[in-house]
Amino acid sequence: MQLMDLIRYKYKTVSVVGMAKNAGKTVTLNRLLEEAAEKNIILGLTSTGRDGEKQDLVTKTEKPTIYVMENTIIATTEDCLLRSDAKLEILEATDYVTAMGRVIICKVKARGMIEIAGPDTNSEIREVAMKMRFYGAEIVLIDGAINRKTTASPSITEATILATGAVLSRDIDKVIEGTQHQVHLFNLPTIEDETMKPLIASLMEDKSYSIIDKSGNVEVLDIPTAINNGTTIGRALTEESAYVILSGSLVKKTLEDILTVTELYKNVTFIVRDATKIFIGAKDWNFFIRRGFKIKVVDKINTLVATLNPYAPQGYQFDPKEFYNRMKRNLPLPVIDVMLEEEEVHV
Amino acid sequence: MAIEKVDLTKVKPYGDTLNDGMAQLSFSLPVPYGEEAREAARLLALKMGLEEPSIVDAKDLGIGYTYFVVYGKCKHTVDYSSIQVAKVEVDTMEKEEVEAYIESNIGRDVVIIGACTGTDAHTVGIDAILNMKGFDGHYGLERYNGIEAYNLGSQVPNEELVAKAIELKADAILVSQIVTQKDVHIPNLTELIEMLEAEGIRDKMVVVCGGPRISHELAKELGYDAGFTSGSYAEDVGSFIVEEMVKRKLV
Repeated sequence: MQLMDLIRYKYKTVSVVGMAKNAGKTVTLNRLLEEAAEKNIILGLTSTGRDGEKQDLVTKTEKPTIYVMENTIIATTEDCLLRSDAKLEILEATDYVTAMGRVIICKVKARGMIEIAGPDTNSEIREVAMKMRFYGAEIVLIDGAINRKTTASPSITEATILATGAVLSRDIDKVIEGTQHQVHLFNLPTIEDETMKPLIASLMEDKSYSIIDKSGNVEVLDIPTAINNGTTIGRALTEESAYVILSGSLVKKTLEDILTVTELYKNVTFIVRDATKIFIGAKDWNFFIRRGFKIKVVDKINTLVATLNPYAPQGYQFDPKEFYNRMKRNLPLPVIDVMLEEEEVHV
Repeated sequence: MAIEKVDLTKVKPYGDTLNDGMAQLSFSLPVPYGEEAREAARLLALKMGLEEPSIVDAKDLGIGYTYFVVYGKCKHTVDYSSIQVAKVEVDTMEKEEVEAYIESNIGRDVVIIGACTGTDAHTVGIDAILNMKGFDGHYGLERYNGIEAYNLGSQVPNEELVAKAIELKADAILVSQIVTQKDVHIPNLTELIEMLEAEGIRDKMVVVCGGPRISHELAKELGYDAGFTSGSYAEDVGSFIVEEMVKRKLV
């Protein structure tokens, strides 16, 4: 399967996010780089974390290096530039400063290895992605750091690739359950009610916490966040309430608090901007859904594919075929084992 | 007697003489005490790269576990001369200088909240930086004029910390991670950043982490503005925060 076929002509910015460190993000990224080189696609490349360094900072395991072709646009820090062996032309020195120096946008003049560490906040990543498009990148790839998933937010990238692997747990069932939950969240349905959509979108823009009733009247709650304000939200619900707009994050405690003060939550739909705002694990999520919570999003995340890495740096591995087959059965999207295919190519 | 010169490109442990590689380590194995246990420990030490390992002590821990002390010669070396460690670039000011800097560049109180988050119950780090009495003769940020410091203590869930940061309109968050098992500090630290992003306040704050296993480079990967490791004092952290606020126009 060609990953680029899922992307080209459809999406201009794509994030690669991982379920954990060592889930295989860099291998996935390299696969995308190879395919782009074959198809002569000019890529833009940056990372919210670090990529291409030889050793992992936490586990000290060997990491795959990153090799880029001519004309690729990259955004990386001053420190990383000095350690890269590709010949680079500096296009712009940005104002974004990271712990590893200023972020510089460059064009690759002669192919070679590079180290990538881009800006680390969402708003900076979005700006840098736009700049790379301006400098000629057809598709911008953004590699997420560690297990950080916010770059998957549709406000940052148009589509996302989820890397998962044995590193999550020694128990294959737990890896599947965790990945399934993440994909489920990414695929959460958007609001169908076309008449309400513009209203809800504008309330989100205003960063408000509010309740819309069945006739479309809005009650704005005087709270700066939903965290620790579950009871306030719960008590504000009436028989007439239809939607609850939560413009920030959604955490377990908020739903727990709502549960303790009212039964009316069963009649309303809770709306968050997108799935990256949700911080609820698989078990708790299933509990809340069983209790009758309905949660939807304004923007759905386009999850293109899940990539698998059956090897864990802790020194164990899953049977690649079994892992692949079970993931394929349990996930509603294409699945590829990047390590397996990598081996097949290089044997 | 000629004195051997240290070759910094090939450094190895020093025991009795230079480059003898002698190292001592201790560990437990989940096997019952006995000759087989000693052999298991010896084989493991060999695999770790220790030559001629000797099991100098083995103690029965009961319930089928054994504790070992092992000596051996490390055969590996490291190139000390090529080591580069990213450190927080901060012009550390003294307490009085930080106070004056706040007065002339920020002109209002700086709100800083700190906590040990997740499962971590070890507050020595955050206390050393925040609490009045400080550490090692360096007063904590609580004592600074122009700084309003809140120490939320230990085992604070990320969502509590975020809620408090919003309530107090914090300018900076300090997170300490001292003792954590199986690298749980990593997802715990990234979760905080993701929550701040979700709440839309990441750009409005200086977010700093600290602890013995945290480096400035790791902090970048985790999404923090800086990472302070052992040996940092309140004035280092305080200087970084106020300078960063001015640099990012968060005043």
